Amino acid sequence: MTDQLTRRQLLERAAIGGTAITLPGLLAACGSSGTKAAGGTTSSSHKLAKTLHFSNWTLYMDTNNKKHTNPSLIEFEKKYGTHVAYVEDINDNASFFGKIQGPLSRGQSIDRDIIVLTDNDRYLGLMLRKGWAEKLDKSAIPNIKNLVAVQQHPNFDPNREYTLPWQSGMTGIAYNDTLTDPVLSVSDLLENSKLKGKITVLNSMGDAMTLVMLANGDDPTKVTDKSWNDAFNRIKKAVDNKQIRQFTGNDYAPPLAKGDLSAAMSWSGDIAQIGNKHIHWNVPKDGGALWTDNMLIPKGGDVYTASVYMNYVYDPKVQGLMEAGDPKRNITGIYYIPPVAGAKKWALSFNPAVANNPLIFPSPKTLETVHIFDNAALNNQKYLEQWQNLISG
Amino acid sequence: MSSAVAVETRHERRGFLAAAWAFVKHHILTLYSILFFAYLLIPIAVVIVFSFNHPSGKFNYVWQGFTWDNWRYWNGVPGIESAIILSLEIALIASVVATGLGTLIALALVRYGFRGRATTNILIFLPLSTPEIVLGASLLTLFLNLSFVTFGFQTILIAHIMFCISFAVVTVKARLVGFDRHLEEAAMDLGANEWTTFTKVTLPLIAPAVLAALLLCFAISIDDFVVTYFNSGSSVTFPLFVWGAARIGAPPQVNVIGTAIFVIALTAMLANVLVQMRRQKAAA
Amino acid sequence: MNFFHRHRETTPYLLLAPGVLFLAVFFVVPLGFLAYQSLESGNFDVGFSFTWAWSNYWNAIHDYRAQFVRSIEYAGIATLLALVASYPVAYWIAFRGGRWKNLLLLFIVAPFFVTYLIRTLAWETILSDNGFVVNTLQTLHVLGPGGRLLATSTAVVAGITYNFLPFMALPLYVSLEQIDERMIEAAEDLYASKLHAFLRVTLPLSLPGIVAGTLLTFIPAAGDFINAQLLGSTQNHMIGNVIQSKFLEQTDYPSAAAMSFILMGAILVFVFVYARLVGTEQLTGTAG
Repeated sequence: MTDQLTRRQLLERAAIGGTAITLPGLLAACGSSGTKAAGGTTSSSHKLAKTLHFSNWTLYMDTNNKKHTNPSLIEFEKKYGTHVAYVEDINDNASFFGKIQGPLSRGQSIDRDIIVLTDNDRYLGLMLRKGWAEKLDKSAIPNIKNLVAVQQHPNFDPNREYTLPWQSGMTGIAYNDTLTDPVLSVSDLLENSKLKGKITVLNSMGDAMTLVMLANGDDPTKVTDKSWNDAFNRIKKAVDNKQIRQFTGNDYAPPLAKGDLSAAMSWSGDIAQIGNKHIHWNVPKDGGALWTDNMLIPKGGDVYTASVYMNYVYDPKVQGLMEAGDPKRNITGIYYIPPVAGAKKWALSFNPAVANNPLIFPSPKTLETVHIFDNAALNNQKYLEQWQNLISG
Repeated sequence: MSSAVAVETRHERRGFLAAAWAFVKHHILTLYSILFFAYLLIPIAVVIVFSFNHPSGKFNYVWQGFTWDNWRYWNGVPGIESAIILSLEIALIASVVATGLGTLIALALVRYGFRGRATTNILIFLPLSTPEIVLGASLLTLFLNLSFVTFGFQTILIAHIMFCISFAVVTVKARLVGFDRHLEEAAMDLGANEWTTFTKVTLPLIAPAVLAALLLCFAISIDDFVVTYFNSGSSVTFPLFVWGAARIGAPPQVNVIGTAIFVIALTAMLANVLVQMRRQKAAA
Repeated sequence: MNFFHRHRETTPYLLLAPGVLFLAVFFVVPLGFLAYQSLESGNFDVGFSFTWAWSNYWNAIHDYRAQFVRSIEYAGIATLLALVASYPVAYWIAFRGGRWKNLLLLFIVAPFFVTYLIRTLAWETILSDNGFVVNTLQTLHVLGPGGRLLATSTAVVAGITYNFLPFMALPLYVSLEQIDERMIEAAEDLYASKLHAFLRVTLPLSLPGIVAGTLLTFIPAAGDFINAQLLGSTQNHMIGNVIQSKFLEQTDYPSAAAMSFILMGAILVFVFVYARLVGTEQLTGTAG
């Protein structure tokens, strides 16, 4: 029996295919309008959950290297009785959002009480706009008064109803001194032919464009079409010249450590954590970027327990230890910029070397050289599309 | 007289060269094959060796010293234990279900003629010829539109069963096709009814194929990345864990688990092969 | 058992039902959803609506033509390399393997027991800029002094080839193993040289294996994105990378869905052409 397509078989298959296309249309029309309310606790219940599910970026928690534990989380459990299930599954905003938007758009919980997203990417604002974040229970967060002034009224959440900063950081340039002379400016990074194919640029639009706009002499806090195009074309040229090896998220760290990269556009704290004394990080000559990772409670998360945790973290003593670590107890700190006033005092008592590190407790002078990207530009569809096309090759 | 001698020596020389050439030609395939196997196994060797590495920093790229620590504390990396357990659970359930469904389909396809046979064949063949990314993306689209589905274990399991069925069908079918129906007919001639024939004759004879399908599905499921990546929500299987860990420098424990899976699978297959070889020798 | 005797016609359908139903719901229907989505327009912020947006397809081909072409290119080269590289080994095992055949086959399949990602990451270590391989190639002047292997198309194609070698080698072996050696002997008896016998007898008889291996390698390779992500640079991105990014990062579902169908379409065209050339029985396994 030969299996050539008979006309009847062809028609049969077309019929099957046809139903397959109209069926979803029917389902979509009758099934999916309106979101289902997720089964989360309301903010009026003041009971602590047994477990707090916390998703965070990597290298973002104090760690006891010998025991592979997080001291501050253990202390939290001792004090409040809630175990923190801490997962480091956020590698970049885009891919994490991609993972959670499926359930969230169906009104389902993602089994997390706290997640952390960056403010110089569109996803933080998107979560809030879509109503996928729960309101904080501020009655459980008296320590919110310790939030540093500059963080109190961000334009994506003016009254801090849904978010609280976790850590801030700066974007600059890291280089490996065994492979290259110091790379201290964006023009060096993008145009020095000796670095061809040995550098990377961040795939985060906010970070990359801020640095390049500053190098062009433009203001990244107020993006115009012209300043956008100038910066965009400069990066594009570097791509076409094969100067840029890759666009990366936080995955620049392994190639940098391996020696595949001579320099990388990178985040301040990561370099401190890599612990390789040949790798140096600097704010670029023309200025760098400042960003803040924010905690928020996704829909369906336990508001009260999450709020209690946030309060715990905003205690200056706790924050000081988390930030600086304690070499006497083998604890490595986070080494980013804490949002809690008064943390430096405590950090000095635990780890003076770190407490005096200008990357972690930057001086006002350093803070003047770093800038926050224009929030409106983050949601400009045209810019987003252009940027995506650039980084997808 | 001398010319005859000269001709003879020339023949000898040609004979020697020809023999040498024949030797090389004969063994060049062997040489090539050995190089081929070496090439295949180099990355594996790297993975195994680096599972014993003692990196001073976070990055496992340069050999710095031998240690058993990574093996002793294989679950020292947060998340790795739950990831491998999830992978094993899913692989077990998915392979059993897929093999079950697939065996039934294979039986129907080989034993019976019926309308829609060609269409069924195409239906089985299509998932195999669809790139994983399309499979993953389309399932994601389906799940996004079904509000009662929870992303996580459920969705991953469904996805794995889906793409394993075709593999199971193909594996069992291959064996069924070469099946000698006379054995069944003989059993029935001897008075066995259909059910007894099935359980006492057919099933044992296709058991190797069913087992092979089970193992194949298990291996495919435990290794799957792309389809799982699209449909896992916030659950993490072992391949997903590796993907995440690799971005910031995969710890040696990843190599440890990879090696462990490799060794277990290899041992199982090796045992199977040696038993087969033993049987062949006995039959010869 | 009289039930099954009497209802002989329904038995196949009963056997088929669970599996086929499962596939119908979780394979066919999702493709339908995907097709539906590919004709929607809008964006994630404001929502999507069905508007028969065929422009999604046109835009996808137009904007990402380079990645589509690259995917076919890389997959094609990798398949060819895999064929050329594995054929001699498959031949060797089939004809010279003797009772060690299964053991040798195991060597081919064994690397597959290590997770795909881990294997590819191992290549990232091996081909590292300061690694043994690159240094050797630089010494041999195959690579220039600043040359590298990672973040190039060479590494990506090499990765794809490596990862799909068993898919090519095994079908080749299966069809070579089934060749009756007496036919080759007969050809040689008829004064054909070894080469001639190979070209005229062995090669054509192994065609089903070549076909199967080619399809099993090319199809998944065309949609792959892992090798390009780990071993390549931005300029080596394949259509798989774009689809993945559009789905999971940019949440531009209609465009991503359209691209998925274009990819599938391209592959089906390829398979169809191939099928006409060699006959559909080889493909769907309905012969024999």
